[in-house]
Amino acid sequence: MPLEFSRFLKKVSVEVVVGRWSFQVEAMDRGKFSDEFTEKSAVLYLNEEFGKSNGFREGDIVRLTSGNKSVNLKVLFSDIAPENGAFMPNSIYTSYLTDFSSFKRFRATIEPSNDRITKPEEIMQKVLSMD
Amino acid sequence: MHVCAGCSCLCDDIEVEIRDGSVSKVYNACRRGAGIFLNTGSSRAEPKIDGDNADFEKAVKGAQEIIQSSDSLVIYGLDTVTLEAQELAIKLAEKKEAYIDDNSTFCLGDFVEMILRKDIPSTTLEEVKNNAYVIFYWGTDPYHSLSRHLSRYTYYPRGGKRQRGYEEDRFLVVLDVRKTHTAKLAKKNARFLKVDSDEEVMRGFIDALEGRSPKVFQKDIPRILKEMEKGGFNVIFGGLGLKYGLKGDYSILKEMIRKMNERSEVYFIPAGCHPNMRGFNELLFEKTGYVNKYSFKDQTSSDEFAFHRLLEDGKVDAALIIGSDPLNSLPLQYARKLADINTVVVDPRETFTGKIAKVVLPSSIAGIEGGGTMIGADGTRIRLKPVFEREINDEYVLKRLLEVI
Ligand code: SF4
Repeated sequence: MPLEFSRFLKKVSVEVVVGRWSFQVEAMDRGKFSDEFTEKSAVLYLNEEFGKSNGFREGDIVRLTSGNKSVNLKVLFSDIAPENGAFMPNSIYTSYLTDFSSFKRFRATIEPSNDRITKPEEIMQKVLSMD
Repeated sequence: MHVCAGCSCLCDDIEVEIRDGSVSKVYNACRRGAGIFLNTGSSRAEPKIDGDNADFEKAVKGAQEIIQSSDSLVIYGLDTVTLEAQELAIKLAEKKEAYIDDNSTFCLGDFVEMILRKDIPSTTLEEVKNNAYVIFYWGTDPYHSLSRHLSRYTYYPRGGKRQRGYEEDRFLVVLDVRKTHTAKLAKKNARFLKVDSDEEVMRGFIDALEGRSPKVFQKDIPRILKEMEKGGFNVIFGGLGLKYGLKGDYSILKEMIRKMNERSEVYFIPAGCHPNMRGFNELLFEKTGYVNKYSFKDQTSSDEFAFHRLLEDGKVDAALIIGSDPLNSLPLQYARKLADINTVVVDPRETFTGKIAKVVLPSSIAGIEGGGTMIGADGTRIRLKPVFEREINDEYVLKRLLEVI
């Protein structure tokens, strides 16, 4: 059985910067319940060097946790991500993870996940069942 | 030519081709703008009551009942709808002695308020195109949020006194916590300053203006100030990164702009995305003296009356959300409370908030299916020239809701 490299990765603590991403906004106009919206929103952009040095590959699914809230996102490499952090387009995913005090920049941990990407509907379910 | 209401640039040079009753080609718009026109028919909202499809008239009746019976109503959103619709929403809030707020409370309303109160000097994009030399983008990435800002209004176009092209006649300064796509444009005649603390950078500019050596960017800040003196007319576009970086205390921003103006003209324009946020701020300001988070019952504005605080504090029993999707854009710990009260959503497209609303009323897409007026981020009024006319638009819905009050 092939070794799963991701199992040996540790948790990495990062600052996530939130901003606009025109490709994601375009997907939003096509429909917030479309696969394209999830594909463009449930993404964690990492600087390639930083991502690789921490054992992440493009396309990996990672669990991003801020406080007691987590979502599963796809890793993509981009040169617009902060050198030692991450970038996320603003959407229901970042709204779930942030508060006003951390609205545009928040601390989080990244760890490998063998699960699938979290869907917006699942976030809504989690949120609506919160006390 | 048509106007795109995709962002506060409100580009008025959009041309379209129509085939079989829908937009088949779009000219001049950016990726996002073209998408709005080409996807007019996508993910359209349907009238709903308690999540089930309903007849439009029944849904209107349901919304009327909610508003009529509410003792404590909040109206929220409004930055993507026309001034005419905003006026009706303000009228409805006044008649119901309700709360009214928009995205500007957590977006750039503070900057608009400073401009309207004349705390900081501002100008128009037309003036920027014709005169501006040093152009700052501070805490904003227009490449993604206001895609034609640089090409149509600020950095690249030739106009008025600036006829020699951007490489000679503009000086670009981008300040951000990361190297954004806009920052990558800062090559010749330009600077990118990677900001850790906005306050520290502003203090650096003030120090240099007062003859001291700045503690940060010791070489860049004096050079930028020299360029500003050379240009004579300069502009700072401030975005959400700047707002949140300053954590609500703008005294240092005002001080820096005042001191810069002792040497050369410096103007400030908010770089916000919502097409008619400034319109809402101006209308409410004219009527009440405040730009947002206003209570018609208490006749004042307060942080307590911010939309998210009203939800958090359980102060409202009903919410009328117009042209906004708080479940997508606000921290969900607040927005989720909309599921516990009577929420009415008015929107042209399906939204997350619509999924938890008691009533959903569809409307039209401003600029494509309905006319009216909007005010861009620089305070310029723009008349929308719709491609199609749809009877059911925000104004129509709001008039129907006003019937019962
Ligand atoms: S820049 Fe804004 S207003 Fe202009 S076409 Fe793009 S989305 Fe529309």
